[in-house]
Amino acid sequence: MRYAIEVRGLKKSFGEVHALSGVDLAAAPGTVLGVLGPNGAGKTTAVRVMSTLTKPDAGSARVLGLDVVEQAAQVRERIGLTGQYAGLDPALSGEQNLVLVARLLGASRRQAKTRANELIERFDLAHAATRAAGRYSGGMRRRLDLAASIVRRPEVLFLDEPTTGLDPQSRNGLWQVVRDLVASGTTVLLTTQYLEEADQLADAIAVIDSGRVIASGTPSQLKQAVGGQVLRLSPTRPDAVDQLVQLAEWAVGVKARAEGGEVLVPVAHAGEAQAVMARVSQAGVDLAGFGLHEPTLDEVFLQLTGHRTRTDETAKEPVA
Amino acid sequence: MSTAATETTWTTKRGTLAQSATMAARSLASIRHAPAQLIDFFMIPLMILLSITFFMGGQMMGSWQDFLQYAGPTIIAMGLFFAITSTGLGLFGDIKDGVFDRLTAMPVSRFALLAGRVAADMVKYAWALLVVGGVAFAIGYRAEGGLLGTAAAAGVLLLFLFAASWSMVLVGLTAKSEEQIQTWMISLLMPLAYTSTVFVELDTLPGAVQWWAELNPLTALADSMRVFLNGGDAGGEVLALLAWCAALTAVFVPLSLRAYRRKLTD
Repeated sequence: MRYAIEVRGLKKSFGEVHALSGVDLAAAPGTVLGVLGPNGAGKTTAVRVMSTLTKPDAGSARVLGLDVVEQAAQVRERIGLTGQYAGLDPALSGEQNLVLVARLLGASRRQAKTRANELIERFDLAHAATRAAGRYSGGMRRRLDLAASIVRRPEVLFLDEPTTGLDPQSRNGLWQVVRDLVASGTTVLLTTQYLEEADQLADAIAVIDSGRVIASGTPSQLKQAVGGQVLRLSPTRPDAVDQLVQLAEWAVGVKARAEGGEVLVPVAHAGEAQAVMARVSQAGVDLAGFGLHEPTLDEVFLQLTGHRTRTDETAKEPVA
Repeated sequence: MSTAATETTWTTKRGTLAQSATMAARSLASIRHAPAQLIDFFMIPLMILLSITFFMGGQMMGSWQDFLQYAGPTIIAMGLFFAITSTGLGLFGDIKDGVFDRLTAMPVSRFALLAGRVAADMVKYAWALLVVGGVAFAIGYRAEGGLLGTAAAAGVLLLFLFAASWSMVLVGLTAKSEEQIQTWMISLLMPLAYTSTVFVELDTLPGAVQWWAELNPLTALADSMRVFLNGGDAGGEVLALLAWCAALTAVFVPLSLRAYRRKLTD
């Protein structure tokens, strides 16, 4: 089996809304595939198809070589799912939630209890083990949700935006759990709106927008595909930003971007950067600093889609 | 990961019934967090029994005592019949919580996921029946059929509630909102109860609805309960009730499973 997850030409519409318009994905066993995209890109629908919860209109999805429609029951035996919204019973305690999952998977009462307590320790929930999950904080609920999806260690784990709405500390903790799982052989498919998260965890990234994969590869391949580097200029006086944008455009003929008191100029090679710098010194603009660097994934996304990722807006949305 | 050594693949594959029992226990577990629910379960049937008996009974049969003796048990049955909407509401809430998304992506019998809710509600109905039946006894109701007859009447009532609950499973899976489920209760269950022999004798009903009242499953239920409670010989009414229970289950279990597939895997 070459791929633990293999998706080809996946299509799914809900009425007039085309959630997926031909998605291809592949993840080698024991790796992390990051599916990166803004809200409404089709990430959740793709995860629901792969985890047997939604039937595709066209195309195929195979998990561990098994067709998710024809062999759904066998797929369910071997996967774990942490959906975007917590798959927990709010009236049950954290421990009871885990025991429920273990019991349904065939554990005896004692086995279920042992496994639940072990996960509660590992996910740092011991202080709230007997509290109703509905009264957990967002971060605790996420941890419990992830724990519930690995009660029986899955061969393939789907995580749909596992860290949306989490504080940085909880996010780091969750990342570590994912790394541990991958180290023990689990294949992980993770959707995210956070470029940093994909960069941190994923061996391969698929960028998805409006139901299509618009780019894929390793994080560094993606950066190269977009081409070139970025020249970053920081003027000493903030009001020089507009002038710098103008100068850069005259020098290399591309539209530079002003961001946080700095100017970012996409350049194809070092020679272009030199040309910009020559213009800037001719004009006598004082710089506090400058640098040439690889584009960030955020810049990659902008380049690929023509619009920015909407992480700023979504961060303000209440987490359900 | 010092814990990696623990076995996480359990070879004892448990069957559909065991999974249903696990799901039922899960529905009942919340009682431990909020024991006041134990009162909620019997409040509606209790209030229906007391208010109808005391405020309308005298008008209907001369004295409320006579009315209690005639209609007390069947009014309890009607109160519990109205309570089956809670099965629909409970299931609706489960699906909204997202816990069913996880369960659906697990190798668990779909029937068990639904039957667990029904089974848990049966426990609640049995509890409510015990309390409200106890109150009826305390205010003077006596069954001529004795303990055995009372047990048989309770048995057919619970059997009917089990079968009827599956219709509410379907409603819970197809409704768009909680309000819609409540509307169903008022507009469907109430006329069903009032066109039966729960309160009145068949021949006091308007001629136009008598044919329906004779067919009505609640008539079969009320008549069966009276036969057992009055120590009579069980006959056609019990057969009619059993036929209704079988029909309700045969229709609504497959429809519910189909609705489940549509709702949660599409």
